[in-house]
Amino acid sequence: MRDIFFKKKMWRRHELKPRYDVVIIGGGAHGLATAYYLAKNHGITNVCVLEKSYIGAGGSGRNTTIIRSNYRTPEGAEFYRDSVKLYEHLAQDLDFNLMFSQHGHLTLAHSDRGMVVSAERAEVNQLLGIDSRVVGRDEVMEICPQIHLDGAFPVYGALYHPPGGVIRHDAVVWGYARGADRGGAEIHQGIEVTGIDVSNGRATGVQTSRGPVAAGTVIACTAGWSTQLAAMAGVKLPIWTTILQACVTEPVKPFLDVIIVSGQLHIYISQTDRGEFLMGSGVEPYPTFSFTSTFGFIEELSKHMLDLFPQLASTRILRQWTGLCDMTPDFSPVMGLTEVDGFVVDCGWGTYGFKATPIVGTTLAELVATGTTPRLIEPFKLERFYTDTLVSEAAAASVTH
Amino acid sequence: MRLPPREHELIDRSKTVTFTFEGEPVRAFAGDTIGSALFAAGRRVFGRSFKYHRRRGLLCCSGQCPNCMMTVDGVPNVRVCVRPPREGTVVKAQNVVGSLDRDLMAVTDRIGGPFTPVGFYYKTFIRPRWAWPYYEKFLRNAAGLGKLDPHVTERRRVDHEHAHAEVLVVGGGQSGLEAALAHARAGRQVVLIDEGPEPGGHQLANRERIMTMRSLAAETAQAGVEILPFARAIGLYEGNLVPVDRGSTLVKFRAETVVAATGTLEQPLVFAGNDLPGVMLPAGARRLANYWSLRPGERAVVLTVDDRGVETARELEAAGVEIAEVVDYRERVPRSVVAKGRKQVRSLTVDGKRFDCDLVVMSGSPQPNYGLLAHARARVEFDPGRGIFVPVELPPGVEVAGEASGDVGSPAVPPPSHGEGEGKSIVCFCEDVTTKDFKDAVAEGFDSIQLAKRYTTATMGPCQGRLCHLNAVRVAARETRTDEGTIGTTTARPPTSPVSMGLLAGRPHEAAKRTSMHHRHKDMGATVFWTGSWRRPHSYSADPQAEVRAVHESLGVIDVSTLGKLLVKGPDAGAFLDRLYPNRFSDLKVGRIRYGVLTNDAGRIFDDGTVARLADDEFYVTTTSTGADGVFQWFEWWNAVWHMDVELANVTGAVAAVNVTGPNARKLMERVFDGDVGNEAFAYLDAKRGHVAGVPALILRIGFVGELGYELHFPSPHGEHVWDALFEHGAEWNATPFGLEPQRILRLEKTHILVGQDTDAESNPLEAAMPWIVKLDKDDFIGKWAIEHVQERGLRSLLVGFEVPSGRMPVEGAQVVVGGKSAGRVTSVRYSEQVGKVIGMAIVPIDLSGEGTTFEIRIGGELDQAVVRTQPFHDPEGAKLRS
Ligand SMILES: Cc1cc2nc3c(=O)[nH]c(=O)nc-3n(C[C@H](O)[C@H](O)[C@H](O)COP(=O)(O)OP(=O)(O)OC[C@H]3O[C@@H](n4cnc5c(N)ncnc54)[C@H](O)[C@@H]3O)c2cc1C
Ligand code: FES
Repeated sequence: MRDIFFKKKMWRRHELKPRYDVVIIGGGAHGLATAYYLAKNHGITNVCVLEKSYIGAGGSGRNTTIIRSNYRTPEGAEFYRDSVKLYEHLAQDLDFNLMFSQHGHLTLAHSDRGMVVSAERAEVNQLLGIDSRVVGRDEVMEICPQIHLDGAFPVYGALYHPPGGVIRHDAVVWGYARGADRGGAEIHQGIEVTGIDVSNGRATGVQTSRGPVAAGTVIACTAGWSTQLAAMAGVKLPIWTTILQACVTEPVKPFLDVIIVSGQLHIYISQTDRGEFLMGSGVEPYPTFSFTSTFGFIEELSKHMLDLFPQLASTRILRQWTGLCDMTPDFSPVMGLTEVDGFVVDCGWGTYGFKATPIVGTTLAELVATGTTPRLIEPFKLERFYTDTLVSEAAAASVTH
Repeated sequence: MRLPPREHELIDRSKTVTFTFEGEPVRAFAGDTIGSALFAAGRRVFGRSFKYHRRRGLLCCSGQCPNCMMTVDGVPNVRVCVRPPREGTVVKAQNVVGSLDRDLMAVTDRIGGPFTPVGFYYKTFIRPRWAWPYYEKFLRNAAGLGKLDPHVTERRRVDHEHAHAEVLVVGGGQSGLEAALAHARAGRQVVLIDEGPEPGGHQLANRERIMTMRSLAAETAQAGVEILPFARAIGLYEGNLVPVDRGSTLVKFRAETVVAATGTLEQPLVFAGNDLPGVMLPAGARRLANYWSLRPGERAVVLTVDDRGVETARELEAAGVEIAEVVDYRERVPRSVVAKGRKQVRSLTVDGKRFDCDLVVMSGSPQPNYGLLAHARARVEFDPGRGIFVPVELPPGVEVAGEASGDVGSPAVPPPSHGEGEGKSIVCFCEDVTTKDFKDAVAEGFDSIQLAKRYTTATMGPCQGRLCHLNAVRVAARETRTDEGTIGTTTARPPTSPVSMGLLAGRPHEAAKRTSMHHRHKDMGATVFWTGSWRRPHSYSADPQAEVRAVHESLGVIDVSTLGKLLVKGPDAGAFLDRLYPNRFSDLKVGRIRYGVLTNDAGRIFDDGTVARLADDEFYVTTTSTGADGVFQWFEWWNAVWHMDVELANVTGAVAAVNVTGPNARKLMERVFDGDVGNEAFAYLDAKRGHVAGVPALILRIGFVGELGYELHFPSPHGEHVWDALFEHGAEWNATPFGLEPQRILRLEKTHILVGQDTDAESNPLEAAMPWIVKLDKDDFIGKWAIEHVQERGLRSLLVGFEVPSGRMPVEGAQVVVGGKSAGRVTSVRYSEQVGKVIGMAIVPIDLSGEGTTFEIRIGGELDQAVVRTQPFHDPEGAKLRS
């Protein structure tokens, strides 16, 4: 509260040192959270975060901020469950209001197949103590009276997840950045990593646009750019990169509380605390690193959105944008050690990584501090692509981020 | 009050319309906008600002700024300065508690000021945790502008059109017209679009230039240029796609060359009180005077960096406004400027000299309007000598003409802001961001334009920075002690100005696929539902079990036209299929059928169906209904990669298919088919050609539903004819149509899988219990390596049949539980009358997959027992299929 009037720097600027115990590449939410928990949970403070642009420039500042844990696989659901728990207390932990509003999340089903997928997820979730259940048309109407159930694709019911919600993405980035800074980590914006030094199978440091930096451990928290970073260390990732688009409308007074997702219509919508509708869709089907927005996106999105909410016909779209997504074959992330000692990856976050931020930070910090892989992220090891133990989230993560 | 009739005014005083504002009638002339009519009626306050609820008046009169947004006929956020009223239009103020003139929320401006510094929300309401939802509710209600009508369900009709132009000129000002004319004279087909009622641009509000513009427009039209008024470009997308908003039509233009002649965006100056009603941009004041013959004020002060302000002063004088002072920044840049007034501006003090006035015209930097160019990734640079951003380096196929290119003369550079301390100097009008907010943001470490923008929310309002981007960058540059070039621009994102979702959506129609027998199903009482993009019968009565019974006991008929159907023909056809499927087809005898699943590179099942060999070099492949297009693309892709001598045709729509099944199926076939249907001549898994009810057909003897069955494939146009014939001749055995639901029960009794239901994105043929389908001795096939790997590592789970002794019904998706944890799932489940039990299929851990093994599943939140059955429930030996 004191800071409201006494302007204090959220984070400081530093001179780049020649060596850090831990070099984190990527100043998105994941990189910053990792730096924060390294100091907070393990007392590791000789840490720097290198960000080529500004903090939050990547997916962390572009996502549609849906936070939920109603995943399909037990491995995924458990992991995200613990993340949501951390999110629920994060504002107090960081002493920064993240505006986390848990108004609930409805994944609509427009076919009996859709109902089966919902039922399956609900069953998995309930076994793990996650508040998640299948609701029929009547209850959908009760939860969201504005919805039009009998559009071109009638709504059969939905998967309802009361703790699902949205948050202020920038606040998460800034809150962690401030926390990391206060814990002793250095945040460097405008420094790009151009190479990773590997000798005798071990990562020893990075090359940057401001010269070399030696490191005990190098962590790549670079989401959409991860294949490029991993390639610098000679590590191959089973990841392809594409874009996901999103848009917002002009603000209006409160109309919609819950988050509505329709996998079949390829759309989702929430209304922010500012009153804007925040809307998105599934990823583009082609690999690309180009941030170009398409007209087809707002066209298709509007068409399907009005099917559910005809009231929005005269609501105007203000802007649209894109962000990179690092897609894995099974829609689950890749986290942990690689064949190069001292080089840790945190990637494959595709369209769903924002909600994982706190649990990623805590588990990666633990991994670095202890040298052993925490149980929760064991299933997401890179090795799974060699041991054929994929964690298939396609059904729960392709449109619902 | 109106001025006496003036030459070139846009209003027609002989015609009037009446609309209501806050319930009171307001009279307008034809040619008026809601805004001009309200101004004529004496209104000066048009809106309340987003955060502080400050009074706002007309500013730009060109639909650019947020100041005059109102709710019109239930639609919020309408800029009334450009919206013509219709008879009876209902106009309401928005974002006020009380009225526009007395808004209770305006306290936030005074007491809220110090309590709502930038970033306020992030630092407050953190504890106690439980209180946040309440605070949040309050905040949500305070935010937002207009209100949506939750009951509107009707949609205005909107059409989408496609159009091509060799040259598309966006903007009909002088430079746009000249560019269009030049291109037309060079022999190119040119279309010019302009958002106003007629071309002419800002010069239409200039009484000396208006006739020149009209004759230039006439000349341009004469030269063959198609001129579209009321047409607004939404953006410039890849491939020179320019969607154009024409009110009730969206025209999607593709152009070889796009010329951006979008002029400039007049920028406000930043000084204390710069958002008071009565402080206007030059275009706003001119339009009031020259379009609608209104006197914008009695006494005016003009602040200007170039000739615009000087010209405006002349125009205003002609309209009877007394000009108290013209401050020309080219001669002298004032250090401090302060506007004062409560309900509207009453005075302006410039470097200590006070002028009483009720109108201030601020003509800040003429910022080239490069939005469209930026969408196309043109590079934009700051020109410090003129204090504006100019486009440099255009992408191919994109040109820029006139002021949009930076051709704006040599304006003076105003300071980022004029002194501080005397009330709010607004940088961003939409979001109520002040110079002080920027100072604070930078002091807190938000020291790049990207961070400062996000923290203050400047440039993120309804005008998307049109009115504030330049000033925001310049203020940020000053606060960080760098220059504007270093600070750089923020990204200009489409659309260029807000575009309604109704316009984007077009007409609400959804393409559905229907089979050629669809109407017969409806006539027979089928409930129809979506399956993928098809509309199909679910069942024909409320009792699907009756349809199941009919199939088991006598005769059922089902329309399976939705199956994907591909012809694979050529010398390499057999070898081609051998590479695509895990099993072998090159050794299939002509006239025989084999079932196959398709696997991807990772050995995962993604489709299945039957393959019939019609000739040495010809195969007929069926796929699942939803997989048809995907499988066809997959085949084409591999054909292109392998260069094999194979031709492919997707005949899904051209060929209808009906399955005739049940113990009496052969009897019916004897009646309608012109060949021998004896069990010797036409055995199980034979494919034969012939005629059904006189229609040439291919008959496949297969049995997905477990009874003797024939699948008839024939040209779609004969669908109803064949369907009718089957029922006519089948009446004797009580032929019964059956839908998808009974089919699902029937196939489950046989434990035939449904791809996508009993398999998921990670299923392989071995764990889907189909080892017999995988021929690992083949040279290669797609997914072989992966399936070999599965074999090597050993199976971990298996798809099995099960029954539930308790008779309770789990949901599909119910979990198989081992030690309290998920270990598998139920993929299908139904009650089968035939078996007299609840039966299903489930994926279970391999050690629980043996015949008769008991495992636990979750039913209604409790654990119950299920027993593994590895044989089909119905006719396990397949005797009926072969009979
Ligand atoms: C439109 C959209 C909507 C989304 N919606 C959701 C959602 O609703 N819910 C959800 O959970 N997830 C969502 N996501 C996904 C989510 O945004 C990401 O998974 C998440 O933000 C990843 O965070 P990160 O910190 O790992 O990566 P990022 O935030 O992308 O950070 C990576 C950083 O690395 C930097 N970098 C890259 N290369 C280098 C280099 N060589 N040197 C230095 N720095 C480098 C980049 O500049 C970037 O800042 C969405 C994504 C998009 C695009
Ligand atoms: S003035 Fe409109 S966004 Fe700033």
